[in-house]
Amino acid sequence: MSYLCLENVVKTFDKTEVVKKMNLEIKKGELVSFLGPSGCGKTTTLNMIAGFLEVDGGRIVVDGKPVHLLPPNKREMGMVFQNYALFPHMTVFDNVAYGLKLRKVPKGEIRERVLEALEMVRLAGYEKRYPKELSGGQQQRVSLARALVIKPKVLLLDEPLSNLDAKLRQEMREEIVEIQKKVGITTIFVTHDQEEALAISDRIAVMYEGRIEQMDTPVEIYNHPKTDFVSRFIGEVNQIQGQVVETYNGQQCKITFDGYEQVISKLGVKDSVMNFYLRPEKIQLAQTNREGLHVKLERKMFLGAKTRYILQFKEKQLIADISNTVLNPDLIKEGQDVYAVWNPEELLLVKK
Amino acid sequence: MRKVLPKAGLNLFCLLVYIFLAAPIVVVLLSSLTTTEYIVFPPKGITLRWYTELLDHPEFMQSFTLSIIVAFGTAIIATFIGTMASIAVVRYEFKLKTAIVQLVGSPLLIPSVVFGVALLQFYSWIGIAASPIALVIGHIILTIPFVMRLVVASLVGFDRSIEQAAMNLGAGSFKVFFQITLPMIKSGVIAGAIFAFITSFDDLTVALFIVSTDVVTLPVRIYTYMQYQYDPIITSVSSIMILLTFVLMVVIERVLGVGKVFASKN
Repeated sequence: MSYLCLENVVKTFDKTEVVKKMNLEIKKGELVSFLGPSGCGKTTTLNMIAGFLEVDGGRIVVDGKPVHLLPPNKREMGMVFQNYALFPHMTVFDNVAYGLKLRKVPKGEIRERVLEALEMVRLAGYEKRYPKELSGGQQQRVSLARALVIKPKVLLLDEPLSNLDAKLRQEMREEIVEIQKKVGITTIFVTHDQEEALAISDRIAVMYEGRIEQMDTPVEIYNHPKTDFVSRFIGEVNQIQGQVVETYNGQQCKITFDGYEQVISKLGVKDSVMNFYLRPEKIQLAQTNREGLHVKLERKMFLGAKTRYILQFKEKQLIADISNTVLNPDLIKEGQDVYAVWNPEELLLVKK
Repeated sequence: MRKVLPKAGLNLFCLLVYIFLAAPIVVVLLSSLTTTEYIVFPPKGITLRWYTELLDHPEFMQSFTLSIIVAFGTAIIATFIGTMASIAVVRYEFKLKTAIVQLVGSPLLIPSVVFGVALLQFYSWIGIAASPIALVIGHIILTIPFVMRLVVASLVGFDRSIEQAAMNLGAGSFKVFFQITLPMIKSGVIAGAIFAFITSFDDLTVALFIVSTDVVTLPVRIYTYMQYQYDPIITSVSSIMILLTFVLMVVIERVLGVGKVFASKN
């Protein structure tokens, strides 16, 4: 049973549709990421859910009740902003207490709940500070506490980590997931960082040009991208061309990649020349394996845990990322001939 | 050495500028203490006689009260209108916006004599007699540009997601304005109000055209008194005006720290 539904939601700015008939269903307690490049409509969609933007068509339903006509202050959503948006003239305590005061919660209870919320974000003892006396990470924690303390129906996070440095970003995202699971709150997390989305989400809605391209679990999104855009946007891919040589009883077919023959399931194969995507980490290298694709190592880059091999075949480049524990990077020299091998299951056949 | 020399020179230069700026005030303050029947500097002897003599001139006290009332009314209304107008100008697009902004700002550019004549004409045309309200209206027009300059400055770069955050937490637009927006632009608004107060309290040129025999502001009273008599009463009244302004600035600086507004943002 879905808790938050978007039904044919449309948003138009100056005659251009930035959100096109969007449909979305989120279950109670689920953490869903909106992932996409800038301008894909993810923040616009979030702002419509929060009520800062009006919908130009369609409905937004929360817990069975349509909310898209309500003003933002009546929607019971907790929002965390990219730039924290704390009230600079109020202490941490007053910032967090603000929503409770508006709800006329008795004073003693306000105090109790604010302190509890601050404890949850590990900021106990900071009540009397002002926002400008806190670091970015601490400010974002206050912002999270402020949003959660009112027990909102949905928690909305608008690129909450993008103003933090890399290390803090990782810590914070783990903390956010931890808190989210503990509270069990339905959450939407807007980000343009695919790693972030893959790491924390129950499901990801990949958006592009005002549409949801695919909505799935991180594993499905990564391993079985359904559209061309998703496969290129999430992770890196090599594009390779294969030629169909033979088909067997309609189930499977043999394909050759410049002499490297593989049998794959025929599903989706229509033309005699097909394009496939292949993730760099799915490629293995062998010095002697006549079954592999014959390539030449052009360059290699040591990246710490793994090494990136840039391979050349027929004026085209192929990228392979191989863990240094699997293959010693010193073993293959630049300019040397090698064989690239992959499991035919890993080939992604993508609808154009 | 190379660093010390220009600094000493700069200090000296600053000192001279300060002396130049403060000298007239000091001259007025000291002259008010003279024992002579005429204004002289440096004062001959020291007495507070001219201050006590003020008590025999109730018209000065009347004018003082009137000036305070007018300045207060002007400050409140001009700040209210100016703040609203600033928000409209900074946040909304509307037809003829530039033209309206220029029109509202024009009292800064028009010589106040011209403005005074225009007001006089206008008032007699629509039939408003000289009154504190007539003065307040004139001063509001005169001071709104100051208020707007300061409030607009504090609104530019205002992060509106802070207001969205308040809305998101359940605040309606009035609460957002009074609990979030206004406190955040407070220093600009207060500075605007002080400017409006002082500009009104100080105004001679415009007031000259509006006053009548029973509605006379303090600057006009001093001006007309000086045309007939030139005794140290003038300097004692002026000293009181100076001290009042000074006290006002100090109190406000202490209570609100408005000095920050004139430095830079944040």
